[in-house]
Parts: sequence; structure tokens; C-alpha cells
Amino acid sequence: MHIPDGLMAPAVAALGWLIALVFLALTIKLLNKKLDNRQITLMSVLAAGIFVAQMLNFPIGGGTTGHLIGAALATVILGPFAGIMIITVILIIQALVFGDGGLTALGLNILNMGIIGCLTAWYVYRLFPLKSKAAGVFVAAWASVFIAALACTAELAVSFSISGGTHGISGAIAFPAMLVSHSIIGIGEAMITAGVVAYLAKISPGMLRLPKITLSTDNREAAVDA
Amino acid sequence: MRELFARKGLTVLAAILVIFAVGLVGFYMFSADYGDGLEVAMDDADVEESEPVYTGPLDYGDNYLSSLLMGIIGFFIVLSSGYLLARLLRKNDS
Repeated sequence: MHIPDGLMAPAVAALGWLIALVFLALTIKLLNKKLDNRQITLMSVLAAGIFVAQMLNFPIGGGTTGHLIGAALATVILGPFAGIMIITVILIIQALVFGDGGLTALGLNILNMGIIGCLTAWYVYRLFPLKSKAAGVFVAAWASVFIAALACTAELAVSFSISGGTHGISGAIAFPAMLVSHSIIGIGEAMITAGVVAYLAKISPGMLRLPKITLSTDNREAAVDA
Repeated sequence: MRELFARKGLTVLAAILVIFAVGLVGFYMFSADYGDGLEVAMDDADVEESEPVYTGPLDYGDNYLSSLLMGIIGFFIVLSSGYLLARLLRKNDS
């Protein structure tokens, strides 16, 4: 779901940058206050692991593939704001070093996969009671992909509409194509995320009990039932 | 960075890279020839990808060995960048 240069209308890409920068400023402020040494190590390992996982596209049928985004995985382990920073670092390196995702669209990519992906995962995950956190991880991971894809599709449709068809994709094509494929890709994301979290709960439950970096200071509700 | 390269940290890093190396076999067997959801939507709408405003110095490679190498390079770039950024954020606090 990495948006390339030139696909979106310039106004939509600029708005994406603006929203992303506002959220990144908030993220940096929160991390600045709340990061501890264990979280720093885990953030860098998670970022590197998610980066290589994103290279491994899996087939979903109909000649289409998908890959892990990792927003839900990072969010469940470290909270939404560390998750946003992890996905942002990955997206910046993918764009600057590997040319994956356009520089002009980087704000939108951070907004969709980082900010929307992590916040969706977090708020869906929080809906589940402590004894159902395993199901919560699965549903949160699926929702993070689907809602991020929904946002991307809306941006495509708005770009098409305001540019008179020179940018973006018509909503009539984009909505069914993107939402059907990403509802299936989301199942792959959910299976991988739930599998990794269940494995971590077994071999290193303390990792899942690390404080989550959120807007509030009370993180107890976020603990995964290991 | 010391904790990353402690014995347990090295084991975790090696395990991630081994899983990646194995997963890459599956990628080249089943997925390498196909586009992702957005690329397929662009194909459906006959949208051509325009010239990028910037081209990265590396790419993901087009065969198993080059992709493996690029994945390992990217892994360590992200690992060190993430670590340095997080350290910087933490240091600003103190």
C-alpha cells in the first residue's frame, strides 16, 4: 500500500504531509517523556523485523499479493505512539534508501500505515477485555489494515475528483478493488500478528507487559493476557 | 547498542534474519510476479505509475540472493536508525 509519487493530487499529498507532521510532533513529544531503555531496544528490533517482514509479500488470489504492515504488532507490544514512530522510520528508509513509496506521498503513507494503522489497532484492541486479548490482537490487526486501506482509497477518490481525473483513481474502481483485496490481506496481517504475539506471550511474557506509550499514564488495561 | 549485541539480542536478530531468508523462498515461489492491492487497483484503472521525484540508491533486488542481501542491509539500516532515533528522543528528556 505504498503510494508512489504522482498518484495523488498535490493538494491531497500536501494535506497528508501536514497531518503527518502534526502527529509526528505529538509522537516525538510523548516519546521524549515516556521512553525507557527497554523500549528503545525493543523499538529498534521491532522496526528492523517489520522492515524485512514487509518485503515478504504473500499471495491472496487473483494475481494480487499483500504484505504485513506491522502497525498492530508494534502497537500491541509498545503502544500506539511507539508504533507510529516505528512505522515512520521504516517508511522513511524505504523511501530514501530503496525508493519504495514516493517522497511526495510519504506524508500520506505515514498517515495511512503509521498513524491510522496504529491508532486503529490500539482503539480496537482496547475494546477487548483482558481475557479476550488474543482475539483482540487478531481483530485489531485486521482492522488496522482495512481502515488504512479505506483511508488510502478515500484519498485516491478525492484526488480523482478534485483533479478532474488526472490524479487518483475513480471511487467506483478504487473502493471495490482496494477494500476487497485489503479485507483479505488483513486476514494475513491478523494471522501473522496474532501468531507472533502468542509466541512472545509464551517465550517472553514480560515483553508484552512493558508500559505502553499512550496519551494516558495508566497502561494496565493494555496488558496482554499471557 | 550494547544490549542489542548481547548474547540474547544476537540470537533474536539472527532468528529474524533466518525467518526472513526462509520466507524469501516463499516470496519468490508464489508472489514475486504479482502486484500488491494498490498496484492491482492502479492496473484496473489503467493508471500508469509516473516517474518518481527521487530514486533511492538501492532497490529490493530481483532474485533471491540480491533480495536477501538488500533485506539484510535494510535490516541493519532500520535497526541502527531506529535505535539512534529512540536514544536521541530519550536523551533529550534527560
